[in-house]
Amino acid sequence: MSENATPVLRLKEATIKFGGLIAVNCVSFDLMKGDLFGLIGPNGAGKTTCFNLVTGLYPPTSGSIEFMGRDISGMASAKIAKLGICRTFQNIRLFKALSAVENVMVAAYLRHRTGLGSGLGLLPSAIRETKELRRQALELLDVVGLSDVAEERSGDLAYGRQRRLEIARAMATQPELLLLDEPAAGMNPNEKVDLQQTVRRIRDDFDKTVLLIEHDMRFVMGLCERIVVLDHGEEIAQGPPDAIRNDPKVIEAYLGAAV
Amino acid sequence: MRFWLVRLASVAVVLVGCFLLQQWAAASLTPYLQSLVFLAGGYVALAVSLNLINGITGQFSIGHAAFYMIGAYTTAFLTATFFKAQPLDSTAWVVLMVVAGSVVAGIAGLVVGLPSLRLRGDYLAIVTLGFGEIIRIVVQNVKALGGSFGIDCRVEPAPPSIMLMWLLAILTIAICRNLLKSAHGLPFLAVREDEIASSAMGVQVTKVKVTAFVVGSMLAGAAGAIYAPFQVFITPLNFDMYQSFIVLTMVVMGGTGSVTGSAIAGLLLYLLPEYLRLMKQPGTSKAISIGGPAVAAGLVGVIVLVWLLRVVQAKVVGSKWQRWAGNLGALAATALLVYLGSLALHGVPFLRSRNYTMAELRMAIFALVLIALMLLRPAGIMGHHEFSWDGIGKRLRRRTSGAKA
Ligand SMILES: Nc1ncnc2c1ncn2[C@@H]1O[C@H](COP(=O)(O)OP(=O)(O)OP(=O)(O)O)[C@@H](O)[C@H]1O
Ligand SMILES: [Mg+2]
Repeated sequence: MSENATPVLRLKEATIKFGGLIAVNCVSFDLMKGDLFGLIGPNGAGKTTCFNLVTGLYPPTSGSIEFMGRDISGMASAKIAKLGICRTFQNIRLFKALSAVENVMVAAYLRHRTGLGSGLGLLPSAIRETKELRRQALELLDVVGLSDVAEERSGDLAYGRQRRLEIARAMATQPELLLLDEPAAGMNPNEKVDLQQTVRRIRDDFDKTVLLIEHDMRFVMGLCERIVVLDHGEEIAQGPPDAIRNDPKVIEAYLGAAV
Repeated sequence: MRFWLVRLASVAVVLVGCFLLQQWAAASLTPYLQSLVFLAGGYVALAVSLNLINGITGQFSIGHAAFYMIGAYTTAFLTATFFKAQPLDSTAWVVLMVVAGSVVAGIAGLVVGLPSLRLRGDYLAIVTLGFGEIIRIVVQNVKALGGSFGIDCRVEPAPPSIMLMWLLAILTIAICRNLLKSAHGLPFLAVREDEIASSAMGVQVTKVKVTAFVVGSMLAGAAGAIYAPFQVFITPLNFDMYQSFIVLTMVVMGGTGSVTGSAIAGLLLYLLPEYLRLMKQPGTSKAISIGGPAVAAGLVGVIVLVWLLRVVQAKVVGSKWQRWAGNLGALAATALLVYLGSLALHGVPFLRSRNYTMAELRMAIFALVLIALMLLRPAGIMGHHEFSWDGIGKRLRRRTSGAKA
């Protein structure tokens, strides 16, 4: 990858304040196409808030966020999704009353073509498209290993499956950049290994750029090629896993949080 | 090709069906029964259209009667002013009024909905509640609309109102059902489930909410447009808060989100109080009259019933049958208590001297039915389910295969 290629995502001194609290303070990093990037830090470091900034839930107080060279700071969430950024949620936000496959179809609907009128009239074009979206959704459920529960109510699924369903749902918007917020939280070791493979496969086979937040160090270090560390909203380190592991600032931040 | 044939055939069946209903009702029903058939269709249309807003999209609108009223008054005003001077026959005129009424109601929906739906939370509930009252009070004070006296909107000869209303009801059901059957309904459901996740998946949340609200309002406006000429003379009292409340109850009863449920609840909740009212009509079977003690005991009974059902639902776990047995037990215990209680209350002279007929108690009975239903089926009659022949087939197959096993 050449040095002057446009990054997929670029945070430039992104900052957000909630009243007196500076949740994210002058954070800058670049994600290049095909990166598998980790975002770590102790509790309350501002990781989820970074995702919220990138996906347009809040506009940054100052600084900017660029996606493929285009400034998206302060843009509406739906528009950002359309441009090609999609995320999962740390505190799972599935459409609980809908089935697993319907959850994924909602997201796939973003790339639909027929108008609302054809849906209201249930015209052949709408029926065909509904079938097509369903097919896409089932394919994605297969990727995350949820084919067997496609028709089940998503709110009733086991925790680990809900997390994987969130990933399938985000994938269905056909994003360029996928943001995963603690995808392995609450999973057992076996599930975590599966998940690592799934994430890698998403990057390699589906050509996505992935940014993920995770507390499980083994998981992140084994998966990500580059890592950014936040603490109290500030970026304290950035680099490959080995460098991060031995960075005294990082050790201190984590020990400080643990004591 | 086959698709269009099937579609054409089903539309034809609906048209012919509604036409026959109209012919039959006009030929063999009393005016009162005709109005029953007419309004049953009207409430189905109102309940299902409100369900699009409240149940499917999850926005709590509680002033649906306002849009019904706007449709009705648009029609009434235009009819009073222009009907005599124009060449259309009455059916064509009412169809034209349906267009006018729904457009005006839709515009009102946009004006009310756009600002309140941009916000999260229950602003819509407050705004629609206020809007319903404001519209009614405004109409009461506008001379051109007849004020509180009312306005004459006779269309001569009488249009085939029953047919039109039932066509509208079926159209409303079709729109909602189609929406849910195609992928186009998914964003609406997603918004109901989680707005933040929806917008992260690219759903334009405000647009979806406003669309549902405006379409729902337009359908209510259309119902009003058909209602006015049938009623011949309308006053603001026809559209008071009770109307909004009853339609809302229908949606909640039917199971928020279920089109079938809203339609069934619309029919039942309109016809049940009317049926109880009928009991007072001379010529019908002598009303059952209940003494004062029974009424007093009954009121206490409701409280006990509510409490017992709560206890049963919290405590009794186990198979479906065990839970049903628990519920029945609670009902039986309450009935016994009411019986014994009313015997005991016979000692109170003030209560003994009073008798109530079923018709006088109709609203109380209605309330009891509502309470019991909500306790037994908190998700409404249909829950989130829809009626479908496939579903019935599946259920029957399951039962027979279960019997074999
Ligand atoms: N909407 C908000 N309003 C006020 N404060 C907020 C808001 N969102 C986040 N914060 C605060 O910002 C800080 C960072 O929160 P954030 O959720 O980003 O942490 P995190 O790094 O994701 O932590 P965790 O690992 O626990 O998920 C916290 O102190 C939090 O209380
Ligand atoms: Mg977080």
